[in-house]
Amino acid sequence: MKRSQMLLGLAMAVTLGQPALAEYPEKPIEMIVAFAPGGGTDVAARSIAMFMEKHLGNGASIAVINKPGAGGEIGWTALSTAEPDGYTIGMINPPSFVALAVEGKAKYTMEDFQPIGNIVLDPGILVVGKDSPYETLPALVEASKAAPGAIVVGTSGAAGSSEHIGILNLNRSAGTSFTPAFFGSTAPVRQALLGGHIPAATMNLSEALPLVRSGDIRLLGVMSPERSAYLPDAPTFKEQGFELIVTASRGLAAPAGTPPEMVEKLQAALKAAMEDPEYLKTAQEAEIPLAYLDAPAYRALIDQITGELAETWKVTPWR
Amino acid sequence: MIDALLSALPHVLDPANLFAVLLGTVAGLLVGALPGLTVTTGLAVLIPLTFGMDPLFALGMMAGMYNGGSYGGAIPAILLRVPGTPASVATLLDGYEMTKQGKAAYALQIAVVSGVIGSALSAVSLIVFAPWLVKVSLMFGPAEYFWVALLGLATVASLLGDDFLKGLMAAVIGLLIGTMGTDLATGTERYTFGWLEFADGLDIVVLLTALFAIPPVIQMIETASHQGMPKELLNLRKQGSVLREWRRYLPVWSRSSVIGIIIGILPGAGGSMSCYLAYNDAKRRSPNPETFGKGNPEGVAASECGNGADNAASLIPALSLGIPGSGVAAVILGGLLVHGLRPGPQLFAEHPDVVYGFMLQMLISAGLLVLVGGLAATRIFGQALRLPHVVLAPLILLFVAIGVYAVNNAMFDLYLLLGIGIFAYVMERLDYPSAPIILGVILGPIAESQLSLALTISGGNPFALVSSPMSMIVVTLTLFILCVPLWGMWKGRRSAAA
Repeated sequence: MKRSQMLLGLAMAVTLGQPALAEYPEKPIEMIVAFAPGGGTDVAARSIAMFMEKHLGNGASIAVINKPGAGGEIGWTALSTAEPDGYTIGMINPPSFVALAVEGKAKYTMEDFQPIGNIVLDPGILVVGKDSPYETLPALVEASKAAPGAIVVGTSGAAGSSEHIGILNLNRSAGTSFTPAFFGSTAPVRQALLGGHIPAATMNLSEALPLVRSGDIRLLGVMSPERSAYLPDAPTFKEQGFELIVTASRGLAAPAGTPPEMVEKLQAALKAAMEDPEYLKTAQEAEIPLAYLDAPAYRALIDQITGELAETWKVTPWR
Repeated sequence: MIDALLSALPHVLDPANLFAVLLGTVAGLLVGALPGLTVTTGLAVLIPLTFGMDPLFALGMMAGMYNGGSYGGAIPAILLRVPGTPASVATLLDGYEMTKQGKAAYALQIAVVSGVIGSALSAVSLIVFAPWLVKVSLMFGPAEYFWVALLGLATVASLLGDDFLKGLMAAVIGLLIGTMGTDLATGTERYTFGWLEFADGLDIVVLLTALFAIPPVIQMIETASHQGMPKELLNLRKQGSVLREWRRYLPVWSRSSVIGIIIGILPGAGGSMSCYLAYNDAKRRSPNPETFGKGNPEGVAASECGNGADNAASLIPALSLGIPGSGVAAVILGGLLVHGLRPGPQLFAEHPDVVYGFMLQMLISAGLLVLVGGLAATRIFGQALRLPHVVLAPLILLFVAIGVYAVNNAMFDLYLLLGIGIFAYVMERLDYPSAPIILGVILGPIAESQLSLALTISGGNPFALVSSPMSMIVVTLTLFILCVPLWGMWKGRRSAAA
């Protein structure tokens, strides 16, 4: 018997023994995006889906289905109740994804999901206008302590968004009293800051890169454990003596109960896609803060966020 | 700037890139013409496909889709009274009336020419003013936006129709619908009845389609005839030349373009607001305002021109500051990012070829619209009217249903469509106008959220609302618009008394 024949036979035996694994995916996979087409999450989903198709092989196709509404709750509820057969996956966005569950509003809990992997970690930042009298984070904090409630911080989110919770946590830990102003999305808050209509604002790092680099806005602190590779000169909250970590994640999850070998295959495809030179090049040019985490690590991150949010909710409920 | 333009020109005129603009324009026309499918959706589907392409090829398709889509919405609005996009609502007010009078071809011609003029002027303004106009838009904070929304609401008077009270009631219904959904600042849910689907309020695309597309279909079913529109009414051949009558339309075009460009630059307002404001302005200034809504071609010209002028202008804050002036501009920003172009002040310095090339493409696509829209699309789509009602009514319902389902991929929206559609039909039978509802739904939430923001920022001090010169200007304009009819009434009474 020739060696190649033997290998073939072996391969066939393996194939026949585990049909689900070898054939998966045998029909299109649906990827639920809980936001409207064109948003940051949608663009991230569509681009990773393209490269995951390539690395899943077997002529795999992934269809992005937008189910926007209620701050993501509609899409995530649909994901939690989908058939766990490996043919429905979805993008999740902790911490807002987690916040809905913590405040008891959502019909799902974290146990309803099987994380596949994390794609993006985008830290929150605190910024002021370029003509602002506040040069550093401690200066802004002192000013807020001196005049309770007087300093308004614009946030791109609504009540209960990661940035809002970030401000609440800062108020709690640093004894400040920043008043949040809810702009609903990033564009208007950026404009209000540039036009000098608000003294300070929070947003995600990736949304502010060009304006920080051009000097139109001043970055006082990054809410991540370490400095960002895209802005190595920007100090973190931690190194200025404030314990504040707020990171917006974008990752993939499947409904709980999805067969482990399928999750493994999806996780491998995600990893391969995120190591694909073509994908990396595009992501780097668009300066997307990629951070791959495998399923167990992503689960740990979600658990950690859940714990922190539950604590905040007890002390300062955000709605 | 001239250097950058000249160096970008050869790339733009590359046959492949020109073809991309053409392709985008045709696709945009189709997307715009299908109710429910918006330019935003079209672009969102397009962007991932442009990975690895030459940036100008990809951006050319986007530019074409933007301008093509904004005209495409006018086609079903004029022919079928179905607004293809939210920005074509004001177009249908007079456009569909013209179709009923047998002037469909003329109406479409006006729409194309006006749209092209608006888009072209807008593209020129983008190229010339992008760096400077940004400063003006920065003067608009929450307080100023609040007044702009009030200014828009003040113009509602011109949309009220013949019966003042019924029009006002419709506007209030719109404002009430606008209060539905989750309060941004407190997270409180209003009028959601515990349904997640209502947490963001009513989807504007679903609402528009239901209000404007369903009633005429029901009417068609009522009078179901077995013949299409009679031949003498549906004359798609030449019916006069808009260009030869340029003197008549020139004032409308110039004012609507300016309105569209200004609204485009201001983030958050978007195409539907500019077409309304342009329409109202044309109606207010017309010597016979009562002919508006009854098939006055100037109404179509104003709406389409204002809508087209919004397009490129909304890219001014998008390209130079990274702040999108409309939903579409936001998606285009995403598209730029995919190609490694970070919008913002440094973009013009770092990638002048691509930026100026893209702006030129916006201009070229406006020109291509004449060819694609004027010659081909109009004739083809116009054939739809030859179908007898028994065929046309279910076909329209089918397209509308597909389009509305595609917005959120939700069955719920189809039930809403049916419910609101029947409600709209009843309203129409009772002579309540639908247009004021939309104005209320669009402007009410803007006014509310901006007022709340402005008061949060000022610490609850109401005088902050009128503290900036820009606020004062907008307030004065609003008062002016409100007072002119009163002044007219007072004068009328005095002369009657004398």
